[in-house]
Amino acid sequence: MKKYISYILLILVLFLPLIFKTKPSIIGYLNLIMIYGISAQGLNLLLGIGGQISLGHAAFMAIGGYTSAIFVVNYNFPFLIALIISIIVSAIFGLIVGFPSLRLKGFYLAIATMALGSVVGDVIRRMSITGGDQGFRNIPTFNIFGYKFETNYSKFYLILFFFLLVFFISRNFIKSKSGKSLIAMRDSEVGALSIGVNISNAKLLAFVLASVFAGLSGVLYAHDISYLHPSNFGLSLSIDLLAITIIGGLGTLWGPILASLFWIFLPFIIGSKLELLASVIFGIVVIIVVLFLPRGLSEIIFRIEKNLKRT
Amino acid sequence: MIILNLIIRGLITGAIYSLTSMGIVLILSTTLVMNFAQGDMGMLLAYFAFYMLVRKISYPVVFVLIIIIGIILGFLLEKYLMNRARKTSHLGMVMITLGLTMIFEGIAGYSFGTMPLLFPKAISGEPLIISGIIIDKHDLFTFIVSILIVIILFIILYKTKIGIAARSLAEDEFGARILGIPINSIYLFIWMTAFSLAGVSGMLVAGRQTLEPHFMIVIQLKGFMAAVLGGMNSIVGAVLGGFLLGMIENLVSFYIPQIKDSFSLILIVLVLLFLPQGIFGKRETRRA
Repeated sequence: MKKYISYILLILVLFLPLIFKTKPSIIGYLNLIMIYGISAQGLNLLLGIGGQISLGHAAFMAIGGYTSAIFVVNYNFPFLIALIISIIVSAIFGLIVGFPSLRLKGFYLAIATMALGSVVGDVIRRMSITGGDQGFRNIPTFNIFGYKFETNYSKFYLILFFFLLVFFISRNFIKSKSGKSLIAMRDSEVGALSIGVNISNAKLLAFVLASVFAGLSGVLYAHDISYLHPSNFGLSLSIDLLAITIIGGLGTLWGPILASLFWIFLPFIIGSKLELLASVIFGIVVIIVVLFLPRGLSEIIFRIEKNLKRT
Repeated sequence: MIILNLIIRGLITGAIYSLTSMGIVLILSTTLVMNFAQGDMGMLLAYFAFYMLVRKISYPVVFVLIIIIGIILGFLLEKYLMNRARKTSHLGMVMITLGLTMIFEGIAGYSFGTMPLLFPKAISGEPLIISGIIIDKHDLFTFIVSILIVIILFIILYKTKIGIAARSLAEDEFGARILGIPINSIYLFIWMTAFSLAGVSGMLVAGRQTLEPHFMIVIQLKGFMAAVLGGMNSIVGAVLGGFLLGMIENLVSFYIPQIKDSFSLILIVLVLLFLPQGIFGKRETRRA
């Protein structure tokens, strides 16, 4: 039974657009959830597996999104090539931020990434090619070999494809040698060092993967929403992404998507009157998860798995 | 003359940075919590102050009330939340303070709206001009109050029993425990001080800009930078770092305006990389 549960879930997800055929807006929100889920998955690898805190994760989304938008709009590149370019660019930025992380620890890394995240926002505001404070408008939708993804439904399948890809890569990364050495390092640095685990490459790889995922999610965001503004990728999004990762459960594969589902739908659940209180509830949930539920919302998945094993 | 003007304005912004960085360092060095909510604690109290000020309570009374409310809230925060948080990891504590920022911003936005509000100045009126140097009266008030608070805090930290105990805690928690220092009451004292400090800086900053739920974020970022510049484990360093950062920023933004937003951020990353103990901080011995 356990073997098939993920396939059953996948088939269910594939049929979601048919279920919500009359409500394209719900599919639009699901697209956003997957986009933020991809970004949070990157942070999850970095933080949950690598134990490296980053308060500038949203900046990588901005880098990916703006790079793709500039290449598609200003230079008329095809979407796929722009996507590859922006992934390379975010990987390079990930390396640049990753090197300091080898020297900085804990709090200091948090401050450094926060500062770098703000620098990216300032630079985007000051450049003319990014539209500056006006924002980047009229970004065309995904266009692969001439097929335009116009509706939310078609976008859904494209984003789902990238989401599954990211999920698959993360799963393999956690199981790989780098992932395991990072976990060893996270749990006991002295222990890992004393048995000769080389951590530098694994840490850098985690940073690069995290920034690539964030860049990818930025690209998807840019072409899905078709509008970018530097203030959408400020410190508050970085904090929210961090909170999503924590609420989902650190180091769990299901965490990011569950928590971003919660994050996006929370304002709808509590209604438009109390919408401003959503961040209060979110903050309270963060504190509760930190204090009492170390595995966060993924606890649900673990419970289900446990029950399935028993039968 | 321009340089003198710039330096004085730098000192005034520096005074505000110092208040925030002092709160951050006070908490970090004793309780080992990197408090990302320091700015938003001030933001919340500034909204409280606004609520009282529009009801025609005079500024000095509100000022004292805010300090008292800060002390009460700090007490509650330590007693019922941070106390438990200390058992979790470093990351857990950071996340709890980030959760607090969400809660505070949400409360402020929900009860007062997210539109910018005009916060009354402590002293309004024409700016003073003393032999070519222009000083806004509110800025002068800010500067004097900040200096006074810094002096009072130093007297508390270096002359009173509780202050000396707090510093010993920062030096070595285990040793302090052995000597029978009541750690929990020191923690309470630290959070009460830091929260009321945040309230004062919130009120002072709100008078210089407008009041909105995110207005302390930038100040807090600068507070962190001042703390990094001065050295994370030195309270003297935090104060001096704040003044230094304020002056450097004002000079840079006048002479090289193109890089004024990013300059201090890049400076901090460089300081973190090459001088992690800061200018005035003690080098930390690494323990496993």
